[in-house]
Amino acid sequence: MNTTAAARLDRATFAALVAAVLMPVALGLIFFYVPNDVDQGFSQRIFYFHVPIAMTTYALFGWGALNAARYLWTGDMQLDLRSYVPMHLGVIFGTLTLVTGSIWAKVSWGTWWYWGSTELNTFLIIFLFYCAYFMLRFSVEPGERRARYSAVYALLGVGLIPISVLAVHLGQDVIHPITFTDHGANMDGSMLFTFLMSLAAMLSLAVAMYLVELRGKRLDDQVARLRRLAQGTP
Amino acid sequence: MSRRAFAALVRKDLLLELRGSEVVLAMVAFVLAAFVLFRFGLGGGRPAGGTRAATGMLWVAIVFTAMLGLLRTFAQEREHGIWDGLLAAPIDRALLWLARACSTCLFLIAVQVVALPAFWLFFLQEGPAPDYGVLVAAVVLADIGIAALGSLVAGLASAGRAREVLLPVLFLPFAIPLVLGAVSATTGTISPQTSGLHTVERLGYLALYDTVFVLFGWGLFEFVVED
Repeated sequence: MNTTAAARLDRATFAALVAAVLMPVALGLIFFYVPNDVDQGFSQRIFYFHVPIAMTTYALFGWGALNAARYLWTGDMQLDLRSYVPMHLGVIFGTLTLVTGSIWAKVSWGTWWYWGSTELNTFLIIFLFYCAYFMLRFSVEPGERRARYSAVYALLGVGLIPISVLAVHLGQDVIHPITFTDHGANMDGSMLFTFLMSLAAMLSLAVAMYLVELRGKRLDDQVARLRRLAQGTP
Repeated sequence: MSRRAFAALVRKDLLLELRGSEVVLAMVAFVLAAFVLFRFGLGGGRPAGGTRAATGMLWVAIVFTAMLGLLRTFAQEREHGIWDGLLAAPIDRALLWLARACSTCLFLIAVQVVALPAFWLFFLQEGPAPDYGVLVAAVVLADIGIAALGSLVAGLASAGRAREVLLPVLFLPFAIPLVLGAVSATTGTISPQTSGLHTVERLGYLALYDTVFVLFGWGLFEFVVED
């Protein structure tokens, strides 16, 4: 194993360790430390899962889109992988966002899905976009063309997100609990601390999963190349 | 040079359509059938749901009709080997996209010249008359958005294994905000009291959508065509 591979292993392990420490701490804070919300009571604690997961999904998407742009700029196939892996993880975190959002909607609004909620609906559009990205990726033969097409579609998503937020506002009546306003966070200290800890836990988990999957995909590529060499095809 | 090339490309699309009538007639037949289907779906007599439901149906039908047209986009180029000729020509790749988007937009407008009166006849003839100026502006702005984005996405889908399946999957997530904006604008022309938004805001949103995806189409299409 060469040194870069060892360094990469270290980074993945390090991220996984950080996630392994932060996640139980965050769970402990959520269930045993933070006080009940005055209006929504115990059920508001799902906020500490839902919002960090949603933010992680956006972060993954942002990273995927950034690498897509860098790929189109440089043509480096490694960047294609670095764009694909966050999009893949984004689907997993996106599904979790939809599920936790739906549970929260059921608890606080009495319905599994509230079509008047800007955030839920925007997220639904983005989730559909993520799924479409995969359909595109898996229907084009692997190679340089697939990388280009995936990158173009990923970048289109950068336009889709703000447009969707605006569109959903257009047809809007009410209410998503407003936690962050222009004047800062609308939370007391313990709640903000728990929230930030939970966000750090989710982000470190995502980073760990990203690094591990990236390693896996690179190994796949190497195995495929070796197999081609062994069979005598270029 | 580029202006002449652009004009030639649009002319080619329009001539092919005039001589073969492959796309527009099929789109007209489809959108009329869709209206009838929706009209029966909403119930006989007065349609359920009022203006809002009717304009929702209108835009869903238009998006699906547009998709029917977009499926043929770049199909002739690939089937008859026109691509190689186009790519060998010394013109900016983005012009290929722009020309295609323009002809798609013209096809859509041609379809709507028939579809909109039919829509009014089927769904709204008992209600108040719309503000025609705003209605036309909303329809044209939405068409530009569909054509700009659709031509880019059709380029992506045309290389996939199952083009006919892939195009709707790629296009529909982007059609959702467009339909939301278009429905809001169209409903506003028929019953302005339905929302506090001003006409300018509704049309402004559609114009913003167009601007964003025209810029994306212009910038990204060169990565979609083959080298």
